[in-house]
Amino acid sequence: MFEEASEVFDNMFKSSFPLTLTFIVFLPAVLILVSPLPAEAAHEFTVYRMQQYDLQGQNYGSRNAILNTEARTVEAEVLSRRCVMMRLADFSYEKYQKALRQSAGAVVIILPKNMSTMPQDIVQQFMELEPELLATETIVPVYFAMEDDELLSIYTQTQVSSSSQGSSSAAEVLLHSATANGFQMVTSGAQSKAVSDWAITSLEGRLAGVGGEDLPTIVVVAHYDSFGVAPWLSYGADSNGSGVAVLLELARLFSRLYSHKRTQAGYNLLFFLSGGGKFNYQGTKRWLEDNLDHTESSLLQDNVAFVLCLDTLGNGDGLHLHVSKPPKEGSPQHALLKELQMVVSEQYPDVKFSMVHKKINLADDTLAWEHERFGIRRLPAFTLSHLESHRSAARNSIMDMRSVSSSLDGAGEATAGPHVDLKKLSRNTKLIAEALARVIYNLTEKGTNGDLEIFTQQMQVQEEQLASLVDWLTTQPRAAQLVDKDSTVVSTLEYYLGRYLKDVKRHFVRADKRDPEFVFYDQLKQTMNAYRVKPAIFDLLLALCIAAYLGVVYLAVQHFGVLYSVLRRLMAPRAKQH
Amino acid sequence: MTLFHFGNCFALAYFPYFITYKCSGLSEYNAFWRCVQAGATYLFVQLCKVSSNLTCYECCKEFMKATVDMADLLGLHLVMSRNAGKGEYKIMVAAMGWATAELVMSRCIPLWVGARGIEFDWKYIQMSFDSNISLVHYIAMAAVVWMFTRYDLPKSFRLPVTVLLGLCVYKAFLME
Repeated sequence: MFEEASEVFDNMFKSSFPLTLTFIVFLPAVLILVSPLPAEAAHEFTVYRMQQYDLQGQNYGSRNAILNTEARTVEAEVLSRRCVMMRLADFSYEKYQKALRQSAGAVVIILPKNMSTMPQDIVQQFMELEPELLATETIVPVYFAMEDDELLSIYTQTQVSSSSQGSSSAAEVLLHSATANGFQMVTSGAQSKAVSDWAITSLEGRLAGVGGEDLPTIVVVAHYDSFGVAPWLSYGADSNGSGVAVLLELARLFSRLYSHKRTQAGYNLLFFLSGGGKFNYQGTKRWLEDNLDHTESSLLQDNVAFVLCLDTLGNGDGLHLHVSKPPKEGSPQHALLKELQMVVSEQYPDVKFSMVHKKINLADDTLAWEHERFGIRRLPAFTLSHLESHRSAARNSIMDMRSVSSSLDGAGEATAGPHVDLKKLSRNTKLIAEALARVIYNLTEKGTNGDLEIFTQQMQVQEEQLASLVDWLTTQPRAAQLVDKDSTVVSTLEYYLGRYLKDVKRHFVRADKRDPEFVFYDQLKQTMNAYRVKPAIFDLLLALCIAAYLGVVYLAVQHFGVLYSVLRRLMAPRAKQH
Repeated sequence: MTLFHFGNCFALAYFPYFITYKCSGLSEYNAFWRCVQAGATYLFVQLCKVSSNLTCYECCKEFMKATVDMADLLGLHLVMSRNAGKGEYKIMVAAMGWATAELVMSRCIPLWVGARGIEFDWKYIQMSFDSNISLVHYIAMAAVVWMFTRYDLPKSFRLPVTVLLGLCVYKAFLME
């Protein structure tokens, strides 16, 4: 490349000197003149946009992504077409509504870097506000940013100038404009548009039972995606990272049991990690359709004992079995219910176990629990969770993060917000494993004692395994819009399942072209620049000052002679003294 | 308003030069091309300084680099010796040409590129004001050089003139 460049230069110099001279001088000048303005900002930071999606024809969330407005805080009087900045500690729904009512240009909510420093009630209040923020479809872009020192100083400066806006005299305004800084917030991306042809991936794997063709099947399901008011901030530790961890640990334990002919049971075990769970269980819905309507024979068609859905099991002292129809006596469902009750009462008496019955309401926008998808297709199903109500705010919050301080020993400050407690997670895993084992090996009928523990010593539930799974799951956001079929989350889960299960398969859901069940939008993570700007009046003031200065210089130069003679007169007495 | 800000800075930097040129009587002597020649000499001297800075010195790097600034004085002397005329005329022509060349070379491009941006920074105003100060500085420097080369300079003035000359050259070094 350099030889060619030197050849070009040689030819240029040989041809004509003046031409090359003008070329060399002219071209850089032109390039510099037409070059775009440099992007030197006071501060550049990453911002995460609020959710934007359509579900079953209904639009949710913030519709807009671009932003190029001046910053203000809520105290300012004029908020229209300005970017309103709020800190989480001062955030309230009324302030948010006020900003929207005054047609603000954008809203930026600043979250502290370390959530555990936030008091419990603020975190709780924010968690309850998240669904309300999403419920109203708004054209105002709403962004979340993590706080650092520079952003905090920008915020305090903006707050000072916003709160002093209405109340000062003209002189104060002039002085203020000269000394204070305004900030212009600009995002670098484009307008958000719908992502076409997004594939939600789900994974299944199985363990075959022994003893003939027509064995009953037990399905264990957990959805691996997470949800929050901002997709890039939804880590979903408890909901549903804990469910995935329990499912993977159960797969490992039962595959060990099934690897020996003597301990292989007479049930098929089918494990399913579904995607799109927070968007009304799209993965499960399409999987069921494909298996029940479009395939000749599948495990789901023949003989399903029951479907156990795992949802949010990482914490809490209660365990609730959510059903849409109370199980009939003598059914395998009822057997599991009984085994769970027995294991809890004998081995874990401090766990409060109960069955929660809620009928499927098809008129609702979204289904309550995953088992309702199976219930609609007449498969017996229930969901196990430590949450009592499907409306709990902990299921869809960005505050659901793996806590920084490890709670292995229970010491340390209590973490605000939902999080995973490893001791309780492993206790729940063991509980479920014991109950399942009692069902598939028919232990109660054979007269085995209620406090017999199967999963001990080599077969015990490995807490480090659970810890590393939850840690890995919470290092990246797992929102359904961010996990596509090539993502590492999917491939790692597939690899993990493949170590213990057979016939691990991927299953894809793509939205229908004409009547899509779900539509995702892009531009969810942006870089925002905060430019220091001065108000227009400052430029005018500066022009006046410069004009005055130039006037003084002109006078000084014109009457330089006067100055010189004054100086000579000052020097003259000294000269006379020599 | 950012182009306005660029206009402000440009006015602050350039107008004093314009005023000095017009009001000090240089325009009556048709000194424009002589100033341009002085500017060309400035460019040449800067080129020499840059190429000498590229050579490595073993000891006292900063001191040697400051000594190279002596070339500035030699350049001014060269310009003044080539111009026939009264003393003040020579000084003004040399200083105007020198300072204008410095203004164009070292301040125009940062102002154009920086002051037009969205971001505001006080340094552009500072840069423009700096150019005013360097105009006065170059006039003084040219005057001192001229005085140094005069053979009819009173003896008592020799020492202060030499000291001032030394200060001019080593100003940057002494400021460290």
